[in-house]
Amino acid sequence: MQIEILDRGEAEFHFIDPDDFREFVRDKKTRDWKDKLMEEKEAVKKFVKDGDYLAYDFSSLTRGPQSLIREIIRQRKKKLWICAKFTLLESALLAGGGCVEKIDVGFLGFGEYIARKVENGEVKVYDWSNGSITYRLLAGAMGIPFIPARDLLGTDTFKKSGALAIRDPFTNKPVALLPALNPDVALIHVQEADIYGNARVYGPTVATLETAMASKRVIISAERIVETIEFRKEPNMTIIPYYLVDAVVHAPFGAYPGGTQGYYEMDAEHYLKVSSIKTEEEMQKYLEEYVYSVDNHEEFLEKRVGMKKLKELVRKAEILEGFR
Amino acid sequence: MKEFTDTEFMICQAARLLEDNKTVFVGWGMPQVVALLAERLYTPNITQIFEFGAVGPQSRLPFLRGTMGGPQNTYRSLQWCSMALAFSYAQAGYIDYGMLGAAQIDRYGNINSTMIGEDYERPKKRFPGSGGGNEVASYCWKTIIVMSHEKRRFVERCDFITSPGHIIDGKSREELGLPRNTGPWRVITSKAMFDFDEKTKELRLIGVLKGFTVEEVVEDMGFKPKVADEVVELDPPTEEELRVLREEIDPYGLIIKKGRVIKLD
Repeated sequence: MQIEILDRGEAEFHFIDPDDFREFVRDKKTRDWKDKLMEEKEAVKKFVKDGDYLAYDFSSLTRGPQSLIREIIRQRKKKLWICAKFTLLESALLAGGGCVEKIDVGFLGFGEYIARKVENGEVKVYDWSNGSITYRLLAGAMGIPFIPARDLLGTDTFKKSGALAIRDPFTNKPVALLPALNPDVALIHVQEADIYGNARVYGPTVATLETAMASKRVIISAERIVETIEFRKEPNMTIIPYYLVDAVVHAPFGAYPGGTQGYYEMDAEHYLKVSSIKTEEEMQKYLEEYVYSVDNHEEFLEKRVGMKKLKELVRKAEILEGFR
Repeated sequence: MKEFTDTEFMICQAARLLEDNKTVFVGWGMPQVVALLAERLYTPNITQIFEFGAVGPQSRLPFLRGTMGGPQNTYRSLQWCSMALAFSYAQAGYIDYGMLGAAQIDRYGNINSTMIGEDYERPKKRFPGSGGGNEVASYCWKTIIVMSHEKRRFVERCDFITSPGHIIDGKSREELGLPRNTGPWRVITSKAMFDFDEKTKELRLIGVLKGFTVEEVVEDMGFKPKVADEVVELDPPTEEELRVLREEIDPYGLIIKKGRVIKLD
């Protein structure tokens, strides 16, 4: 039986044959219970390459992997294709650092700077939606080449994506096929992890597990490093099992200037500072002050943020019911 | 004399439309304030669902814009889940209402939140894109669109159709493969309320805020909409609605202070 193709989005898309992904997982992803704890610098150096497809979880407002993003900028990675599923600050900063070439857009926030980069054609965008990108990651996590869904049908978003519409052989109705997404590297910030990479989050998970499972390399940054027994006490809270993970970075305040549920609130003033950046000059000045001129995350916190501010953000967070 | 912003009117009007004991998929920003007002005054048992994976939170007040999936907006949730699951609830038919904003809207309720201009590669203005808007508009049984009433926002065809309305380039939702009996249900603007003609699926003016005329409303649109035989007068915000909005939900005026001030005798 022939399946009838009804429509085809025109965009290129990142894609790996599921069998190639499986073999990568078999050969390159260790199941050893080995200590994967390392510094940001080492993790990014080891696992992020120029030209990689980079995914990250949640947003810069909440539980985003900001210390890892800053390290990528500091190491001046180039030609990244990023998955801006649900993102605000990261894409602007990565573009400012000259790290980004292409963006798969679900929601591409923050401000005039990044909008202008797109309007000028300096950064190329491919329009998807938050839902379709998440389903693509789910397909990538399932080891299948595509997932059928009813997102995007008929819209210009569909035309500018890499989706396909076919006549579904079961219902005889049109359905969209979303190609699986298997990123080269995923950055995920969590509240708690052990040294092997078992990890859990408190709060909504967005696409934590899907992103980790679908990605060739996974770097976890964690507010707290805990003993493995903590996971065995509450196994239903484990979002990521250790064998998905390549590196674990201990990063208190790793989501700053965003917040992390139960730990600290976002720094609204710092946000305003970044979101109001309009010109290249302002962006470079910002990156110089907050990224290039400090050696690492600790130095950033000590010299650019300061204990007073951090204490204030912790106090604002109020450990609310349900977060522990 | 009563004084309020047209944004406050829009929020109150939208909040009055929701039903109790239903589920609502809530978009970012103004829709959140609508849901909070409805929950506080009219629909205490409504279940809000957010794309980042909070199901049924009893959001803390006052509303703070920046926290997204943080404690403020996920407080006392019934469930924390993934985005794939949140959208699947909608795709499988569990979500009654969707609530969205829009930069542009056309005659059939198609929404643009992606870009303005004719050249996609070099847009005049780039917006954030769909976010979860496409899924909310595709899957919820009844979608409510809340937007300010400006001529440039009502266009014959959107520069870019981000999220589907009733008819796209001559094709119905069902022909395109979208779930049947779904789609935009009401459009609430800062001056008026629209539904969609049952047969032609065109935007139809059904209500106008007290103090405005049908002509004034239609003049402020980029196309001439259908007008219902009987256009009702929409009540301005009540004292109670304004008090709850201003004192409890948005005392910092993050959302409600935007827009034009309207004075009514």
